[in-house]
Amino acid sequence: MSDSETITKKKKLIIGNHAVVQGLLQAHVGVTAAYPGTPSTEIQTKLYQLHKKGQIFFEFAINEKVAFELSAAASMSGVRSAVIMKHVGLNVASDPMMAFAYFGTLGGMLLVVVDDPGCLSSQNEQDSRFWGKFAHLPIFEPATNQEIIDMIKVAYEVSEKYNQLCILRLTNFTSLNTSEVEYIPIEEKLPHKGEFLRDVNYQIPARYILHKNVHAKLEQIRVDSQFNALNRIMQPKGEPQSQDKLIITHGAIYPVVAYLNEYYKLNLPILKISAIHPLNEEQILSAIKPYKYLYFVEELESYLETEFLAMIGKNKTDHLVFGKKELEVPQENRLVAEFLAIPFEHIKGDPTDPETFVKKIKSTLPFAPILTQKELIIPRTLPRLCDGCPHRGAFYVIKKATNYDDIIPSDIGCYALGQVPPVQVGDFWLCMGGGIGTALGFSVTTDKHVVAVIGDGTFFHAGIPPLLDAVLHKRKLTVAILNNYLTSMTGGQPTASSPERIAPEQEQIDIEQVVRGLGVKWVKSVSVDNIKDNIKIFKEALAYEGPSVVIFTGTCVIDIFRNQDILEQGKKKVYIDQDKCTGCGTCLYEFSCPSIVKYDGKFVINQNSCIACNLCINVCPVNAIVLKTGGESK
Amino acid sequence: MSSRINIALVGLGGQGIITLANLLAKTFRSQGQEVCFNEVHGLSQRGGSVQSLLAVNENTCPVFALEDTHYLIGLEKLETLRFLYASKAKPVIIMGNRYEIRNTVYLDLENFPEEEEIDAEIRKFAKELYIFNSVEYEKQIEIKIKPTNIAIFGALTDFDELGLDPKLAKKIIRKHFAKNPLAQSFNLTAFKEGKQWLKKQ
Repeated sequence: MSDSETITKKKKLIIGNHAVVQGLLQAHVGVTAAYPGTPSTEIQTKLYQLHKKGQIFFEFAINEKVAFELSAAASMSGVRSAVIMKHVGLNVASDPMMAFAYFGTLGGMLLVVVDDPGCLSSQNEQDSRFWGKFAHLPIFEPATNQEIIDMIKVAYEVSEKYNQLCILRLTNFTSLNTSEVEYIPIEEKLPHKGEFLRDVNYQIPARYILHKNVHAKLEQIRVDSQFNALNRIMQPKGEPQSQDKLIITHGAIYPVVAYLNEYYKLNLPILKISAIHPLNEEQILSAIKPYKYLYFVEELESYLETEFLAMIGKNKTDHLVFGKKELEVPQENRLVAEFLAIPFEHIKGDPTDPETFVKKIKSTLPFAPILTQKELIIPRTLPRLCDGCPHRGAFYVIKKATNYDDIIPSDIGCYALGQVPPVQVGDFWLCMGGGIGTALGFSVTTDKHVVAVIGDGTFFHAGIPPLLDAVLHKRKLTVAILNNYLTSMTGGQPTASSPERIAPEQEQIDIEQVVRGLGVKWVKSVSVDNIKDNIKIFKEALAYEGPSVVIFTGTCVIDIFRNQDILEQGKKKVYIDQDKCTGCGTCLYEFSCPSIVKYDGKFVINQNSCIACNLCINVCPVNAIVLKTGGESK
Repeated sequence: MSSRINIALVGLGGQGIITLANLLAKTFRSQGQEVCFNEVHGLSQRGGSVQSLLAVNENTCPVFALEDTHYLIGLEKLETLRFLYASKAKPVIIMGNRYEIRNTVYLDLENFPEEEEIDAEIRKFAKELYIFNSVEYEKQIEIKIKPTNIAIFGALTDFDELGLDPKLAKKIIRKHFAKNPLAQSFNLTAFKEGKQWLKKQ
């Protein structure tokens, strides 16, 4: 998404992810690093742009762990730093994070993590609030774009006051919400040089002492007034439905809770928790004291509910608590308004009447159902590989070369969509690099052919160690590396294999050289369009008694769209010569590009969506698919 | 303070839903109104469902109770009906008449309803229904990328209750596509010609 600008200079419409960048600039951060991951990607692409302009140091690191380590070193050099990732990226970066929490920081350091409730673009959904508690780190959770900017400044102050790493937790609600903020145009170049002060004494064993120090630090942050000021009771304008009820929620979901509170005309006070961890017991107890009934509305896990219950139990306060179970707030998925209709019905009800909670109540709210008869069945709109995606060429080859019961673990990237019908290549997914890792296991436990599918970015990120393991232990498996020169799933960020045209500041890494360097003896690099030859090559790879690698190379459609003249695109046309077509259906049923359709009983190419990638030309057994440059065709 | 206007935009990946939401928001903003929008796309490589909720006179919560949708802008019929089924709303519907049947249908993997059935269902929900003739409009556009979203944006300036200022909107488009003069010029043309392809049902 492009930069959002409005007419006035001071106020500006920006997406939450860009609010993070604005916050980092306002905090004069010197070093930033990341690995692409939606819903955090726009933070990174914006920083990358600023880096190219020479304003801030940013690096697309090989993975989140490396990005974290780079930022940690910046902090240890006295430079303010930030590392940005999605929730599953934090799993990868958690190893250095857990240890760095013991060391503490010099320059302020912020870990920005964006959760993806609803798994809109992730393999699972996680509640990163727990990382703060687990790693003994303060967590900040803003509710609006303005709060993102303001809270980043506070986070750096807290980080430097206590020499501790801070976590800024967003979700796909906050990160992808575009709204207006006070914007300060910052053009100045932010320096990234600092000084590393050697102090090895504290690195010697007996590190449990450091653990003790971390707890001591946490106790100080717990009573920090600047930190605690982020938790507030929000009072809506209208007359409250009850004086005894309090809704308790957290930053990321607060705007939705506040909206529904007014929409359902409850106008109850809401305790909004943005300083998620550590919680201050005294502050919490005094905030909830005036109320009898506490209603917890939380997205994903019951984090606050559990924390509050411990305080309430310990202090034996006289509160009635209604949590996830009683209110029927889902534990999974994004909390959009539809999922909160029933919980709000419970909140509205009489808390002393058990009937309010024992049965699922029906929403009585404003609009009666419009349809009385049965609805039409609407097919799901499954995501699919783009028209002209080079991966489809590789998948066709893999399908043709393997048997039905061969095992194909896949990986995290666009090619995971190979699972979706009608392509259907891919049997198992775990995590970044997990395709090759599980292929190792399947090669031990079965006698089938095992084919691991992985993209270029994911291979560099986490695919190298398991491939080395395969070489070391002489496993018989085949790895298909689908190289399209980009991190495509997140919208086309550079990877280590990107050409100079895409990432001029980078060294271009040759995948084949890396693979050979790992000791793989059977390696072939092929272009995706040589489909017939590639099937033969792939069969040879499968027959090899050891680890074999086929590197399929083809340009990502995103790159084609970005770098070709849009008018030029209209001139090349691929069409099916109806005189030659035998109607065998290979192109549609087996290759399955979305642009190939059946019309009046004939196989035709939808010229609106076809990008003339030529792949299907190489699939047709009777050469009926033809490329024409210029002129009209049907 | 004016009360909020809830607008839902739905369609398929690649149709320009997010761009349309962005340009609408900028226009409302430059008219001095508060506005915010979200985007839900996930794994919507070209072809997946895309949705954006946009709220005018509101600066923090683009999400709204879907039954309270005032305007529904749909760039594809099935996605429009999907939203209506999910929301049970009775909005003013402005819909492009594309119906994307996926090639999974030929493999008997999925069934797609008849277009007439979908039309009939959509009509039941509509407070008012306006159809933008995307099918015919796109036929006469030479280039591969069709500016249908911007043409519909142009047509939206005819809705007095939305109160979009066409002059400001044009300024926003000009600025948005400033880096690509070609895209700028055909999007401005699309914006200007959009109205003539929209008909009230």
